[in-house]
Amino acid sequence: MAVDITIPPLSQTMDTVILVQWLKAVGDEVVNGEPLFVIETDKANLDVESPATGILRRIIAEPGTEVKVRSKIGVIASPDEIIPQGPGPKPTPEPKAAQPLPTATGPGGQPLPPEQRNRIFASPRARRLAQQEEVLLAEVTATGPQQMIVEQDVRAYLEARRAAPEVTPVARRVAEAVGLNLTTVVPARPGARITRADVEAALAKREAVAPAGIQWVDLSPTRRTIARRMAESQQAAAEVTLTREVDATELVHLRERILEELSERDRRPAYNDFLVSIVARQLKQHPYVNATTNGERIGLSEEVHVAVAVDTERGLVTPVVRNADQKGLLQLAQERAELVRRALDGSITPEELGGGTFTITNLGTLGVDAFTPIINPPQVAILGVGRIRSAPAVHKEELCVRQLMYLSLTFNHRFIDGAPAARFLADVVRLIEKPHLLWLDVSQSIP
Amino acid sequence: MAKMTIAEALRQALREEMRRDERVFCIGEDIGIEGGFGGAFTVTLGLSEEFGHDRILDTPISEIAIAGVAIGAAMAGMRPIADVQYGDFLFCMMDQLANQAAKMRYMSGGQVAVPLVMRAPVGATARGPQHAQSLEAFFTHIPGLKVVAPATAYDAKGLLKSAVRDDNPVIVFEHKLLYGSKGPRSERGALSPIGEVPEEEYLVPIGEGIVRREGKDVTIVAKLLTVYRALAAAEVLARQGIEVEVIDPRTLVPLDKELILASVRKTGRLVIVEEDNLTGGWAAEIAAIVADEAFMWLDAPIKRVSAPDVPPPFAPVLEREYVPDEEKIVAAVLSLF
Amino acid sequence: MKSSDVNFSNSRNARDGLPNPSLSAGFGNPAGASRDLSNSSHSTDAGELPDAEQLTRIYHTMVMIRRFEERVNELYLQGRIPSTLHLYIGQEAIAAGVCANLRQDDYVFSTHRPHGHALAKGVAPQAIMAELFGKATGCCRAKGGSMHVGDVRVGMFPAIAIVGGNAPIAAGAALAAKMQGTDRVTVSFFGDGAANEGAWHEGLNVAAIWELPVIYVCENNLYAASTSFSLTFKVKNVADRAAAYGMPGVIVDGNDVLAVYQASQAAIERARQGGGPTLIECKTYRQCGHSRSDPRTYRTHEEEAEWKERDPIPRFHQWLLDRGVCTAEQLDEVALNVEQTVDEAIIFAESSPEPQVADLYADVFKE
Repeated sequence: MAVDITIPPLSQTMDTVILVQWLKAVGDEVVNGEPLFVIETDKANLDVESPATGILRRIIAEPGTEVKVRSKIGVIASPDEIIPQGPGPKPTPEPKAAQPLPTATGPGGQPLPPEQRNRIFASPRARRLAQQEEVLLAEVTATGPQQMIVEQDVRAYLEARRAAPEVTPVARRVAEAVGLNLTTVVPARPGARITRADVEAALAKREAVAPAGIQWVDLSPTRRTIARRMAESQQAAAEVTLTREVDATELVHLRERILEELSERDRRPAYNDFLVSIVARQLKQHPYVNATTNGERIGLSEEVHVAVAVDTERGLVTPVVRNADQKGLLQLAQERAELVRRALDGSITPEELGGGTFTITNLGTLGVDAFTPIINPPQVAILGVGRIRSAPAVHKEELCVRQLMYLSLTFNHRFIDGAPAARFLADVVRLIEKPHLLWLDVSQSIP
Repeated sequence: MAKMTIAEALRQALREEMRRDERVFCIGEDIGIEGGFGGAFTVTLGLSEEFGHDRILDTPISEIAIAGVAIGAAMAGMRPIADVQYGDFLFCMMDQLANQAAKMRYMSGGQVAVPLVMRAPVGATARGPQHAQSLEAFFTHIPGLKVVAPATAYDAKGLLKSAVRDDNPVIVFEHKLLYGSKGPRSERGALSPIGEVPEEEYLVPIGEGIVRREGKDVTIVAKLLTVYRALAAAEVLARQGIEVEVIDPRTLVPLDKELILASVRKTGRLVIVEEDNLTGGWAAEIAAIVADEAFMWLDAPIKRVSAPDVPPPFAPVLEREYVPDEEKIVAAVLSLF
Repeated sequence: MKSSDVNFSNSRNARDGLPNPSLSAGFGNPAGASRDLSNSSHSTDAGELPDAEQLTRIYHTMVMIRRFEERVNELYLQGRIPSTLHLYIGQEAIAAGVCANLRQDDYVFSTHRPHGHALAKGVAPQAIMAELFGKATGCCRAKGGSMHVGDVRVGMFPAIAIVGGNAPIAAGAALAAKMQGTDRVTVSFFGDGAANEGAWHEGLNVAAIWELPVIYVCENNLYAASTSFSLTFKVKNVADRAAAYGMPGVIVDGNDVLAVYQASQAAIERARQGGGPTLIECKTYRQCGHSRSDPRTYRTHEEEAEWKERDPIPRFHQWLLDRGVCTAEQLDEVALNVEQTVDEAIIFAESSPEPQVADLYADVFKE
């Protein structure tokens, strides 16, 4: 019997989702429980499992389209089955030789009306146990009479799950759907499994302080992309942020003296330009920080392309200064200014936005001291720059006023460890604190 | 302990109760006649020698009078034990049982009690449709009547004594193939179980069932002859790795509901066996009770093994098809797995 | 067992708030039967009659029944009684005449038309009235209603509304009395229709074969519901069937209270002495319909008028005056007394509480 494929109601806040892609093609065999298609909600991309075993006979919704939750997007059936067109498929006589489709027929073998096609048959005893143990019946294999899930089947499932993680699948699913980080959820008792109830309790706390009178604004494509990529980055990386306080007094003085030497036509270098220059040179010395990744492998490159974060009306964009390690300060300043201008007025091109091997993001102008920037995939690290402020410090054993700032380096611990990252940061810091060392082309790291 | 047949156990119960209480007397057809059988199934054999014909009262073929006289005597202070020769004849006295005995106390606002016992043999024995019915269900449905169905010698004696001492009308159903009647009244194909019966005084309380065999995989509730069929089926199923729990309710009204519910909570599966037609029968009531009160513990649908909705036939080959047997019970149990 | 050993083992003890039964014991000498159906005369030729006090009491009973039924009819028409009624009007001589011969511990079984028998046997009018009103103080705690009134303390079992149903049961009660060694008798009242029920035949047969102390009193009022006697009997009299069972059959004018008195006295004495059962057929007429929902279109006005002439109460009233048994004032006082009793019964019933919902479940079984 034909089984409808529908969009599950996994998002708390959206009536529609985007069908990102089908994982199977028409004519492919699908198995109950196997991932069949991918949807994008406002929080994350999710795999959705096939509701039945059979052949993917029809695809109704195309990838990239927005679809309503609970709507039908496809049909699974046996190979030779006639699938009626139009709303509500009419019941067809059951072919005796067909593959068993447990959720499509009633116990007597009679075809079910459409609204019952996705029912799971389980005995009351099995349901009771499943509810108690927070088992999703859709994940249990039925061995009872008339393809009904019986108690024994739930017990078998529980046995298999015994070695599994401390979060119930239901809880995990719910947390994902609502974008709740499981690390923020407390189990009911210490050491117990995190259940859906625990997730919902955490969610309730979060919702309790949600503002009233919310006006929902649709996401721009840019926003959507950022949203997706941020989530992807978080999912794909084990991000750690190192923070260092830097005495930038020397750099400040250096810049002042340089500015005195410039003509009217020259672009005045900003601190960012100095940082791009310093960072680019250090990236040459630390190829693993300059690396990119496709999730499985690390891509090392001789070239250093530094992306700088620009805050535009449309959102954050990161145009790339290519081969930044080979460009002089004024050239960097010029290029960067150009890129920023084009980013701001929207004329930036995709080529100018791609290919970066590292990103610098500066929130110092907005008064931020330190923060935890998120890595820009496929890169493996990002440097966050805080504001430069006058503050008391110890310099040459004496208390005086110096120009201090924080650097926050976030790196992907999956591919770089803390020590190497710290060494890169230390090298960067040293050149900021002692800019004259640039002349000495120091290449060793300070322990 | 003495070993005896059910007929002997019933006779002993009658004797003991009549000795104990001079208000007790028997009334029915052919129960005290000199040189007679002692009732159709020998249960009253020899009693008139001890108690005389005034206390073992033979009647004309007048079922209405048997019931009516017993009711009137009970209302006026006696404790009669009446009987019909075949359970089928209960229908002849239906008004007296259903409209009079069952309702007398209620409609008088509690003024009178009707401490009457009516014994009735049931079951198919190749005598044709009007002498073969198992019709307990008609009587379990009438408020005001108690109904018992003993399947062993121990229970027969104990329950009959309890019935005599109960101040309400009690119908005692006995199965023809379980009596163990001897001589000219012996039944072909009878099971005639011999049971152990204590020498000392004992009663089996009305309203208490019993677990005949313990098991964890499926509960079978059965009565009278089908208890033995269920036990035989349980043996067959044990060899296939299925452990059957067999429950004999012994009293049909008031039912020992909790015994059945507790068993279903344990096993999750229920089969009810009865020698009675399927539709609207006693098994249907048990199924309804369990579906209502133990629904969440069920791991499979509830099955009834009953006689088909036809009158009981004469020909042995047809009767074999009609009555629930070991094979049908095994098949029903297997369908639940 | 001696009669003093036997208590009404199935009867209640204290019944709070319920009126006590009144006494209507009767006694008399053996007398024969009478066939005189003429106006205002009563047969007196067979033996002794009751004394003046007893005669007055019999009259009182008849008036009591008449007024109770008439008043209850009014209440019904006013919508104050929930049940239908089967009125005894016109048949008072039978209940009064028979029950005047019964002791309190004798048994009476009645039918769907039981008010007359109940009053005659001594069930308190208040208790009957409250039962009709459906109140908790009714004689059956409002569980039975009009067709089942009774009070075992005065020997009136709850009436049995299944036509013919009480015949074998009455035989059973008589059997118990015999087994218990008492001289208690049982009376089974029934109508002509009952004599065609299987239960009736079975009951009379066993009563005869076992020589039980039961008197079967047939109130032949010529109609079973709307069906006339002549359509349903080949024999001319119900009493003719007594011979079929081997018991004496007696026919009396059911509207002559003294004839009824004497016939039943003889039968009761015979039974007490161990002489066995008797079938007494009382020819009478019910003045009202079968039940309240009966427009009586199956009878002629002439017939009804003719029987009205033979109304047993004015007839007896006149006889008592003619014989100087009572003065007019005494008889008026009886009427007043009756009226007052009925008034009180109605007040009692109306002011009594209804049963509680929990009473629905009470008395299915004796615990």
